Amino acid sequence: MLRNLTAGLLLLLALVLQVSLLNRLLGSFAPDVVLLTVVALAATRGPAAGAVIGFCGGLAYDMLPPANHTLGQYALVMCALGYLAGRAGERAPLVIVAVCAVIAPGLVEGIGALLGSPGLTWPVIRTVWLRSAVCNLVAAPAVFWVVNALSRQRRRGGGNELVTSWRRGTA
Amino acid sequence: MRDTRRARLALGLLVAAALILITVDHRSAALPVIGPIRSAAASFFGKVENVSAGITGPITGFVGMVKAAPGAERAVADLRKENARLRGELSAQRVDQGRMGKLDKMLGLAGLGRYRVVPAQVVARRSVPGFEDAVEIDAGTVDGVRQDMSVLTGEGLVGRVVQAGPDTSTVALLTDPALSAGARLEGSNEIGVVSGLGEEGGGENLVRFRLLDSSAPLAVGRRIVSFGSQQSKPYVPGVPIGIIERVESVPGELIKTAYARPFTDFSAIDVVGVIVQAPKRDPRDSVLPPVPRPAPTPMRARGRDQRQNEWWLGSPRVEAGPGDRRDARERGDARRRADEPRDQTGEPATEGRETGGEARVRPGRAAGGAEMPGRAAPAARPAEERPGRRPVAHAAAPAPETRGAAARGASGRAAAGNAATGHATGHAAAGHAGAGRIAPDSRAVAARPDAPPAHRPRERDGGN
Repeated sequence: MLRNLTAGLLLLLALVLQVSLLNRLLGSFAPDVVLLTVVALAATRGPAAGAVIGFCGGLAYDMLPPANHTLGQYALVMCALGYLAGRAGERAPLVIVAVCAVIAPGLVEGIGALLGSPGLTWPVIRTVWLRSAVCNLVAAPAVFWVVNALSRQRRRGGGNELVTSWRRGTA
Repeated sequence: MRDTRRARLALGLLVAAALILITVDHRSAALPVIGPIRSAAASFFGKVENVSAGITGPITGFVGMVKAAPGAERAVADLRKENARLRGELSAQRVDQGRMGKLDKMLGLAGLGRYRVVPAQVVARRSVPGFEDAVEIDAGTVDGVRQDMSVLTGEGLVGRVVQAGPDTSTVALLTDPALSAGARLEGSNEIGVVSGLGEEGGGENLVRFRLLDSSAPLAVGRRIVSFGSQQSKPYVPGVPIGIIERVESVPGELIKTAYARPFTDFSAIDVVGVIVQAPKRDPRDSVLPPVPRPAPTPMRARGRDQRQNEWWLGSPRVEAGPGDRRDARERGDARRRADEPRDQTGEPATEGRETGGEARVRPGRAAGGAEMPGRAAPAARPAEERPGRRPVAHAAAPAPETRGAAARGASGRAAAGNAATGHATGHAAAGHAGAGRIAPDSRAVAARPDAPPAHRPRERDGGN
C-alpha cells in the first residue's frame, strides 16, 4: 500500500517537475523525467505492476495541462515499456532503464506519425529521436538512483522482511 | 599618640590650605596663579591616563566582548537572516522588474491595436519537438478567457487558446506544427498562411509563410501581421507575427513559400496577454514596431532598442528591395490617412469622456481601473499621429503605480487587467460592463453601455 503511495507521489513529482521546471529551463533539450521514473519504478516492481504504473503514469502525462495531442499516446507507450522494464528489471535494472530511455522517444514519435500529426517527417523524427535519447540517457542514472533509493527505503520500512539487513549479513 | 598635637596642627593647616584654595578659586577665577597649576596637572595626569588606558583597554574590551557574547551571536544570526531576506527580495524585485517591462510592452502593443487583453503568466510548458508546443497560462474562464482567443506578448502573436479551464488555460504556440493562422504582408493586401514548423525549422523557432498569390512580390525583410479570422476567432487582425528571413521560390509553384522569424521569443515566454475582445476596426499595420532604419551603423542601434537589435541580428539583409517596400508603406499610409477622418469624427472622444465620468460615479468597483478610461480615451488612438507611434504606445501604458502593482503577482494582476482593458480599448468599449463575455458579435456588447452582466467575471475584466 505504502509502496503504491510512494510510486504515485514520485510520479506526481516527476510530472510537475517536467512541465513547470525542466521544459521551461531546457526547452527542447529537456530529458523525459516522467518516462524515466515510470521505467525505474517498473524495473524495481515487476512486470504486472510495471504495466499498471506505466499506464497510469502515461495517462496522467497525457492529461497534464499544457497538452495538445491525442489522449492515450503516452499511456500506450509507457504501459508497454513498463511491462518490458518489469520483465527485464530483475537482472539488469539500469540497463533496461537506459534501453527504454533510448527507444521511448522513437515509439512516441512513431505513434504520432501513425496518427497523422502534422510536421512529423522522417528527418524530423530522426533528429528528435537522437537528441531526446541522448538527453534521456544523461538523466537516466540520476533518476534511477533517486527512485531506487526512495522505493527501497519504503520497502524496508513497511515491508514484510523482519530481518534487518545488518543482521542478515551476519547470519 | 605622641604626635597628636602635630597631627592636629597638620590637619588644621591642610584644612586651612584647602579652604584658602576653595576661596581663591571660587572668588576670583581670573587670578593667574591657579591656571598654570591646573594646566600642568592636566598635562601630567592626562599622559598617565593615556598610558594606562592603552594597557587596560584590551582587557576591558575583552571583558565587554565576553559579557556581550550571547547577544552578539544573536545579532549576527539576525543580520545574516536579514541579509538573506534582503538578497532574496532584491532578486525577486529584479525578476519583477523584468516582468514589469514585459507587461508594459504587452500592454503598449495591446493599446496600439486597441485589443482588450487579460494579462497572464506562463506557468508550465510542454514541448515535444515536431510534435506539440504548448504552454499553460494562469488565466481561465473565470477571467474571461475562452477557447479560440488570440494570445500575444509585447512583441507579437504567440498562439491561441486551445482549451480554457476555470483557472488556467492551454495555449498552443505558433511554432506548433498543427497550428496555422491567416497572415498578411505589411503594407499590402497580399494574404497567406503562417504555420508552425516545429523541428523542421532546425530548432530556430521559424514559421512557414505561404503566400497564396505566387505573382506577388515577396522579399526578405518584409513583415507579416495576422490577417484576422471571421469574427476575430481564433485570430484577431493586425497582431505582428514576424519578419521574413528566407524566401523559397520554386518556378511554376502555385504558392510562394517563405520562412519568417517570429517577433516573439518562443524560447522564453513569460508574460502574455489573451485578447478577450477584438478591436472594432482592423488596425492594419499600426501595431508593427517602427521600421529599423537601414543605417550604415548597426552597432549603435544595438544598445538602444532591443527589438530593433533582434531584427538586425535576425536579418542582416533587411534593406533588400527597399524601393518596393517603401512604396508599399506609402500606399499603406495613404490608406490610413483616408481612414483617419472616420476614426476621429466617430464616437471616441466624447464617449470616452462619458464613460470615464460614469466610472467615477461608481467608485465601488475596481479602484485600479476607475479613472482609466477617461485618461486612456484620447491617448490610445494609434493612427492619430503617424510619426509618434512609440510615444503613443507609452501613453497607452498604465500609470506608474498601476504598473508597479501589476508585476506583483495575482492581486497585482487584477489591477493590471483593469488597466489593460481600460487602456487597450481606448474609446467606446472602455466603459462597458461585462465585456469579458464574448458575444458572437462583439459590437452587440459594445453598443449597450449599461448592460448588466449575466455572470460577472473577476473584477479584472470589467473595464469600468
